[in-house]
Amino acid sequence: MTVLTMRAIGKSFPGVRALDGVSLTVAEGEVVALLGENGAGKSTLMNILAGVFKDYEGEIEIGGQVAHIHSPKDARRHGVAMIHQELNLVPELSITDNIFLGRERTILDRKSTEARSAELLRGLGLDLSPRRLIKQCKIAERQLIEVAKALSQNVRVLVMDEPTSALADAEVRRLYAVIRDLTARGVAVIYISHRLEELEEIADRVVVLRDGTYVGERSEVDRDELIQMMVGRPLGEMFPRADGGGAGKELLKVEGLSVPGEPGTGRTPLREVSLSVRAGEIVGVAGLMGAGRSELLETIFGVHRPAAGSMSLGGRTYRPRSPKGAIRRGVALVAEDRKAQSLVLGNTIAFNAGLPSLRRFLRFGMVDARSEQAAVERQVNELRVKASGTRFTVGNLSGGNQQKVVLAKWLLTSPSLILMDEPTRGIDVGAKAEIHALMSSLAAGGKGVLVASSELPELLAMCDRILVLCEGRITAEFSREEHPTQEAILEAAMARQKVTTL
Amino acid sequence: MTTKTAPPTPAKPPGENRLRRTFSALGAAQAYIGLVLILAVGIATKGDIFLNETNLTNAVGAFASRGILAVGVTLVILTGGIDLSVGSLLGIASMTAAMMLSKHSLEPWQIVPICMVVGAFFGFLNGAGTAWLRIQSFVMTLAMLSVVRGLDRQVSDNVSVGTQIAGPDGKLTPQAEAFQLFGTPGHNLFDRIYYPVLAFIVVCVVFHLILTKTRFGRHVYAVGGNPTAARLSGVNVTAITIAVFTLSGMLAGFAGPIDAAYSASADPQAGQSYELDAIAAAVIGGASLAGGKGTIAGTFVGALILTLLDNVLGLNAVSDNWQLVIKGLIVVVAVVLQRPDLFKFFRGGSRS
Repeated sequence: MTVLTMRAIGKSFPGVRALDGVSLTVAEGEVVALLGENGAGKSTLMNILAGVFKDYEGEIEIGGQVAHIHSPKDARRHGVAMIHQELNLVPELSITDNIFLGRERTILDRKSTEARSAELLRGLGLDLSPRRLIKQCKIAERQLIEVAKALSQNVRVLVMDEPTSALADAEVRRLYAVIRDLTARGVAVIYISHRLEELEEIADRVVVLRDGTYVGERSEVDRDELIQMMVGRPLGEMFPRADGGGAGKELLKVEGLSVPGEPGTGRTPLREVSLSVRAGEIVGVAGLMGAGRSELLETIFGVHRPAAGSMSLGGRTYRPRSPKGAIRRGVALVAEDRKAQSLVLGNTIAFNAGLPSLRRFLRFGMVDARSEQAAVERQVNELRVKASGTRFTVGNLSGGNQQKVVLAKWLLTSPSLILMDEPTRGIDVGAKAEIHALMSSLAAGGKGVLVASSELPELLAMCDRILVLCEGRITAEFSREEHPTQEAILEAAMARQKVTTL
Repeated sequence: MTTKTAPPTPAKPPGENRLRRTFSALGAAQAYIGLVLILAVGIATKGDIFLNETNLTNAVGAFASRGILAVGVTLVILTGGIDLSVGSLLGIASMTAAMMLSKHSLEPWQIVPICMVVGAFFGFLNGAGTAWLRIQSFVMTLAMLSVVRGLDRQVSDNVSVGTQIAGPDGKLTPQAEAFQLFGTPGHNLFDRIYYPVLAFIVVCVVFHLILTKTRFGRHVYAVGGNPTAARLSGVNVTAITIAVFTLSGMLAGFAGPIDAAYSASADPQAGQSYELDAIAAAVIGGASLAGGKGTIAGTFVGALILTLLDNVLGLNAVSDNWQLVIKGLIVVVAVVLQRPDLFKFFRGGSRS
């Protein structure tokens, strides 16, 4: 039975037609995936459903009756809940307080709400105290707490925006089990994801949007066809790197690197990590959430101080005391979270791109704005950033273009070693292919690339060698010639037992 | 007009683009509107008395020390911090100046650097507490406000120290005579330029250039906009934080002698609540307390607005009490005007 019908939905922002006549129906117990590049209108459509926008065109029907959804409260009343990509939980409050936030009685009834939330958590297979603070919970747990919050309000339609983008494989499994359980109870799920592999497994139907319009839908997932529908053109090869080419001499050598963890922040300690990256080589770092991938890259970039071990760069001892020191030695880090770690969102493309390389543009102690502007413009054009100019505010760019600005900023420092942490997370297929092509051309140009990614197909296609981390140790290394399989890598990534019994 | 109006430029910044850039560098547009409005009111109500050189220089001179504080506070605000201690720092610097003059008969050119060092020292402590001990700057500088005021009162024994020092012949000593140039109304440099006005303008120009043209300036904006991204881009966030607080303290030290000369004495309470005027000037000029947004030009205009507002209201015999009320309202209006999204909200077209 159809539970949700959205008819001819349209929405305009100043200067942009974000959605135009899009219709969507979802049946009880069905999982519908929304697919589309960044800016295709998926999030706008779902935000309308969740009451984020006050005005829009078209009509929404829930359970056969017209629903006027113009505020989050309206949406809640009609049984619509949305789990946003950036989770909306208050870190300093407890799980229970978060689940019932905004729906508390005037005088709090701790006992019964805590009992209720404990019951919800159990139903999702979460063994957590309802009094635990959100900031003490892992990302995957927070995701499920959001689900619990949705369930606590008798949800009929649950919208999930990229729920797996921060999850490791095992955690994704658990989320799928929860989704299947929900649909068995008749809840309709709308699922937004960029990961095509996932849709095959979880979605009953895939609806594709492009440029704010409905393109089509399929109940069978055919990867190539879906990509073609999304981008509107066949995409030659997703991972363009054919072969490793000739790697040069050793660029980075890391020996026995150990970094203590930090209690409270959940930072994974590194234990005796050794690796090397040669010029012209792309080396991948695989591992589950919390395996220490980011910590490894950050330590090489001078963010954390190692307790033991040594590094050398280009044959000389390398002991960076801060990112500043690392940048001076020609190392760049494309950080994991571009909004939080890489960009000053309120400032312009030129400001962001020029920041680490200002030294290059100094004349008599002043920044020579003209030569800086010219260099930034050249780099930004080369990477095909879509913006009206370098004075455009970075915060208003799409994810893919923001990531290109981050890349432009680092390329302007002319690095010899580029560290990349999830360089294609949350960006659309087109930009992804461009970034992969860029990685290949950087390696071809004699740079060393060390890339951490949670997407194994990406690593398998791009890297000359893949290192696998588990709990801060390297548990395996595969070279391209060995033709490693995803299964082999996953096995090494979960070689947890071996580590702890040692 | 011929077609050869503009020389060909390598990139493509057309006139409109450059205009917009210049304009945004000058600060928030609504601040100028406010300034024009106040000027208009001044001229309309008290035309002759208001619009003459003596009145205007006196008005700006009276506010100059607070204007200089506002420049320092703007630096701190740009990094996402706040400096509540500048009023106290100005107080202790003005006391230092008066004591150097009365007890040690130092020359004015010796007094100013000493006062700046005193201010910079306390400013450095603010920065060190904020950056190294990770104390929130509001708390750190609130504590400093109290500590420094206490020291000021202790060293002065709660008595104000005059700067009109008479020599054995009953006339002013040469040092005291020279000191008057720093701000005593009626004493001008080269018989023409009123020093406080000149000092305020020079400070604004210098710090405008530092913020817009130097690497340090860029780093200040980056630290305020996103400290993590700044650090990962090679910015020494700790050093920038300490530097802005030190500069803010140094400017307060610089403003001290001006204030002492203007009042012809250093009062142990001098500079009290000046920090609020300084912050108000920065905010009216478009600075955001969240950091990363604001300009010195904006602060300059903000300071002028407060100055002329005081003056116009004073000339029209509006009581001090109502002046305070109006000043507060203007701060709120200025902030609302800088948030176009608020208007959208009222019109009902919200956008995430």
